[in-house]
Amino acid sequence: MRISAGSTPEVRPFGPLRGGAADAARSLVASARLAWAIEGNWAQPVYLAAFLIVRPLAFLGLFLAVLSIGGSLDVATIGFVVVGQAVFQIVSAALEGPTHALLDDRERYRTIRYIFATPSSLLPVSIGRSLVKASIAGFSALIVIGAGVLLGVPMRAGGPDLLLLVVVLPLGLLSVVGLGIVLGGICVQLRNDAWSYPEAVSSTVFLLCGAIFPLEVLPDPVQGISAALPITWWIEGLRRALLGTTSPGILGAMPTNELLLILAAGTAVIWLISPRLFVAGINRAREKGQLDRNTAS
Amino acid sequence: MGSSVVGAEAASLISRIHEETSWSLGRRIRHAFVSVVARAYPRVIGAAREPSWLFFDLVFPILGMCSIVFLLRSRGVDEAWIASTILATALLSFWISVVWMMGAQFHWERDSGNLLLYITAPVGLGAIALGMAIGGALGVVIRAVIITVAGVLLFGAKYQVADPFLLALVILAGVAAMYSLGVCLSSVFLISGREADHLGSLLNEPMQLLGGVYAPVRSMGTAGVVALGILPLAPAIDALRQVAVPQLAATGILPVGVELLILLVMTIVFGVIGRVLLAHIERVGRAGGKLLARAD
Repeated sequence: MRISAGSTPEVRPFGPLRGGAADAARSLVASARLAWAIEGNWAQPVYLAAFLIVRPLAFLGLFLAVLSIGGSLDVATIGFVVVGQAVFQIVSAALEGPTHALLDDRERYRTIRYIFATPSSLLPVSIGRSLVKASIAGFSALIVIGAGVLLGVPMRAGGPDLLLLVVVLPLGLLSVVGLGIVLGGICVQLRNDAWSYPEAVSSTVFLLCGAIFPLEVLPDPVQGISAALPITWWIEGLRRALLGTTSPGILGAMPTNELLLILAAGTAVIWLISPRLFVAGINRAREKGQLDRNTAS
Repeated sequence: MGSSVVGAEAASLISRIHEETSWSLGRRIRHAFVSVVARAYPRVIGAAREPSWLFFDLVFPILGMCSIVFLLRSRGVDEAWIASTILATALLSFWISVVWMMGAQFHWERDSGNLLLYITAPVGLGAIALGMAIGGALGVVIRAVIITVAGVLLFGAKYQVADPFLLALVILAGVAAMYSLGVCLSSVFLISGREADHLGSLLNEPMQLLGGVYAPVRSMGTAGVVALGILPLAPAIDALRQVAVPQLAATGILPVGVELLILLVMTIVFGVIGRVLLAHIERVGRAGGKLLARAD
């Protein structure tokens, strides 16, 4: 670029969120393509497919084997676990995705400094990486649901409730990705075990969100925390859309329109604060020189 | 050029070189022992110096254990299964250590640059692997105990151990067989590229299912029988359940004595295969110049 006297070059402030919507969209698409290259080409397609099929099915098998200890299983119970387990594949990937992408770029590929040197913003880059991980997990979720159908789980008569699905699916995904980027902004500031925190959060959410057992089994005070998680209502919304039935207990007692309201409100709150927390976290990490460090963890 | 060495002086020099580079069997054993202790040391002492490692080593298994216990309670099963779940989680902490801190360790060491130090040091990879195994097992013991105590306190599980010696023997045999398999896995991970992390994941939940960790091995059908012969988790947990939770003895697929024998054979066979594999991969890796090449 040639700068002549009288012309002012465009000034792009440094930081995790800069430029306009078009810049953000370009960053998001580029990072999504990169994420696909990283996540999708570590093995031959046949091995990749096997991995995406075997692990979620093993998870499902593990839970069904445990449930079968209590006697023969009815299809409603299997359906409850199948949908919960399938959706949680996506929850887990989207929650852990941004942190793992940031740490991969910081410590494994050592490219985070170069992202700062380009016009890209770190926020859309992290969202793009997370969405691809969630999409790949979505394939595993479909496999789990397919296995459920083979096991005789009665799906909603006439197919999924598309209207409910179209509303619930993006709302829940947005809420999980929002929580994921908050985790990313926090974990990038950590020295030790930054990799482990998202998994710990994900495992805790798994315990709390009623993915595989009704909330009533949990101690009373914990049930309140479970009800405050948008993920709990996302999974329940998807159960209603796919199975056409409500879950037992307090999850099933909630009318669908109220469930949607809670999910929408939760997602709005998350997106009101999560970009700010992410930017603050990245800026703090940058000031402390943590963006370019290798913790060897 | 300097003056050449000839005659008696040359013979003396050659003899000195032989003396310094040809080690007696005793010296080799002493050296291997010191190497094993040196590699085991950071696994036990180093791990204790980093409280966050202990925290995460405990948090993940305990959260998993809680999920299974709540799942069991949602079905109203016999409390003996909750006692079994706690024991299984404690045993699983050894398996997780085998997969990630044994199997994947050389892979990580290569990517972080430490494998170069191992290769250039006068130490065999076999001694290092044995040190990792012993240190890893000792380091996990305290975690397994804490998990068991936490499980008992949280869920009120009860055990009736009639023969503590047999219980100790089952745990020891199970842990030895698992770490022996870990030496084999370390060879596999060493030749893995970016798929190593995914390989580690595949060795978790699918193996927990096949090994009958939370549900009886018997419920796995033929796959469970096959697992008894190749996967140390399966006979170890089956025997542990029979010894520590007598109410579930009827779910055992084989007598405890036979399962102990299977674990003993596994320890020897996996140990030998692992040693041979490691030496082979080291030799081929050196020749091909790929031993120290980063995966990504």
